[in-house]
Amino acid sequence: MIIKIAWRNIWRSRIRSIVVILSVAVGVWALSFVLSFSNGITYTYISNAIRDQLSHLQIHHPKFPEDKNSKYFLADVSKKLETIRQMPEVEAVTERVVATGMVSSARTARGVKIVGVNPETETKVTHFEKNIKEGEYFKADRHNEILLSQRTAEKLKVKLRSRIVLTFQNLDGEITSAAFRVVGLFNTGNMLTDEGVVYVESDDLNKNLIPQMAEGDSLSAEFPVNQDIAQEIAIFLKDSKMVGPVKEKLKTAFPDQLVEDYYELSPDIELYESQIHTSNSIIIVIFMLALIFGIINTMLMAVLERYKELGMLMAIGMNKLKIFTMIVMETLMLGLVAAPLGLGLGLLTIYLLQDKGIDLSNFAAGLERFGIDTTIFPVLDPALYFRIAIAVFITTLLASIYPARKAVKLQPVEALHKI
Amino acid sequence: MSVIEAKKITKIYNPKTVPVNALRGVDLTIEKGEFTAIVGPSGSGKTTLLNIIGGLDKPTDGSIRVDSQDITQLSDNQLIDFRQKKIGFVFQSYNLIPVLTVAENTEFVMLLQKRPKEEREKRTAELLDSVGLSDKKTKRPNQLSGGQQQRVAVARALAPKPAFILADEPTANLDSASVTNLLDIMEKLNREEGVTFVFSTHDQRVIDRARRVVTLVDGQIGSDEVRKLGN
Repeated sequence: MIIKIAWRNIWRSRIRSIVVILSVAVGVWALSFVLSFSNGITYTYISNAIRDQLSHLQIHHPKFPEDKNSKYFLADVSKKLETIRQMPEVEAVTERVVATGMVSSARTARGVKIVGVNPETETKVTHFEKNIKEGEYFKADRHNEILLSQRTAEKLKVKLRSRIVLTFQNLDGEITSAAFRVVGLFNTGNMLTDEGVVYVESDDLNKNLIPQMAEGDSLSAEFPVNQDIAQEIAIFLKDSKMVGPVKEKLKTAFPDQLVEDYYELSPDIELYESQIHTSNSIIIVIFMLALIFGIINTMLMAVLERYKELGMLMAIGMNKLKIFTMIVMETLMLGLVAAPLGLGLGLLTIYLLQDKGIDLSNFAAGLERFGIDTTIFPVLDPALYFRIAIAVFITTLLASIYPARKAVKLQPVEALHKI
Repeated sequence: MSVIEAKKITKIYNPKTVPVNALRGVDLTIEKGEFTAIVGPSGSGKTTLLNIIGGLDKPTDGSIRVDSQDITQLSDNQLIDFRQKKIGFVFQSYNLIPVLTVAENTEFVMLLQKRPKEEREKRTAELLDSVGLSDKKTKRPNQLSGGQQQRVAVARALAPKPAFILADEPTANLDSASVTNLLDIMEKLNREEGVTFVFSTHDQRVIDRARRVVTLVDGQIGSDEVRKLGN
């Protein structure tokens, strides 16, 4: 009965209730859109980082991440790759030979990270070839080719087909140099990668990295004679939800190596995520504050104009708890009508923008520098919707308390004689 | 058996600032089955007395027993409960619940008492029949005339079978035909079912039909006249 009265009471001041419902709905709509939008930014940032650089999981020598020295390599790489390929969750896997050194042109030189990739498998993991803006990706049966970013090429003042020299330490600690020809210029959209990394083929790099043995040399005990080594193995999974289980499997398969997921590889992702989470929470709180006063105002009006009626209800025996409940119910019902409306509108908006995204290129070219696309696709996160629904519930519940208290504090004898 | 036993009731408003003595030692006993009007000029204390009898207000001094229970000691919530069970209210301006139908208004207090559905429906039908509104069951109060609304109020007041009905100026807003009709119904309920009625009123038409008329003057009982049945 209380529910019935509360529901009908809402519709006594039809226009007032509709105005409140609409204002809550618009608020919910805006909130769901803003949060989906910022979710979209986070999501593109993370998925770009995974797709373009990190992949889901990487394997290194335990000392490599700290020291970045090429001597901390993984041996028997092809066997390892084969084991990983057998795992059903794995979509693609590739090995990388990594060295730190210097790239120099006739004009100038820069310190860089030299990444030797397997041209065939690398594209399956990172789709690196799509970043090539000028020239072309590595071609089979050509040697000593190098890919630079457009930015690095500009700084080195080199063009396609120019020859440049890479200088780095080999595994023996000796300085070694090799000449490479620029075949392609890339742009990843990430400034740090663009300025700091150059790509060559792993075989070419290994050839220079592994000391060439003279006859009678005894280095073979310490260094491999074959080229079956790499500093990094990157794994891309079919489903990012499987990162945890696959990581465990890899740890079991390669107990002596360091297996890291993308959070560990790039702690800034976690920081970024937690910052977005915090700012989302702040937005929700601001939204709740804005909403709460509007609702209190409306419900207070509804209580005050029904003072006499509430007095009558108390006179004929409706107790304070029931009166309180009735007012709380009325407020909650306003939210209950408004929230699905707002969430529905939000869903619709996101659905409409799903394919096209929101093009921010006119406003935020700088986003690219941080690895964020200028077209943002709002991301629908059920957990987010749940949070918004809970926020609306809490807001309306809090907003109902003051008017409901006001209602139960009235004295029926006074209320009944109010005109 | 007395339904109401008020002894030495005094009520002082604003005792600390500008004291107003609304009631000055009123003794009043109402027996079961009475049809009593409390009359008096404005400011004589009728409404105050009615509020105190109805458990809506507390006396400054004195004791009041309703159905043998001392109600001056009850808390707010206990009083609400007490009113729900023992007292039926009929107000001057009807005061029905505007969002409920005639039938829902009538069964409202029974719902608060969690009476079973069958009992509620049966009693509602009986009551609406006795006030002549069986055909208006599904109407909302704003679709009824003042007289009809007041009859619904009577039906609602009677629903929980209270010890007595307290009616505060029940005819003040009604036209003559409605007053006669309402009084006929209340008289019939009093005569046939022994329902006790206590009115406060200015209305001569009500006073004429009351069988006991208690006149308040300046917060005291000026006269207490019992008439013979049929007058």
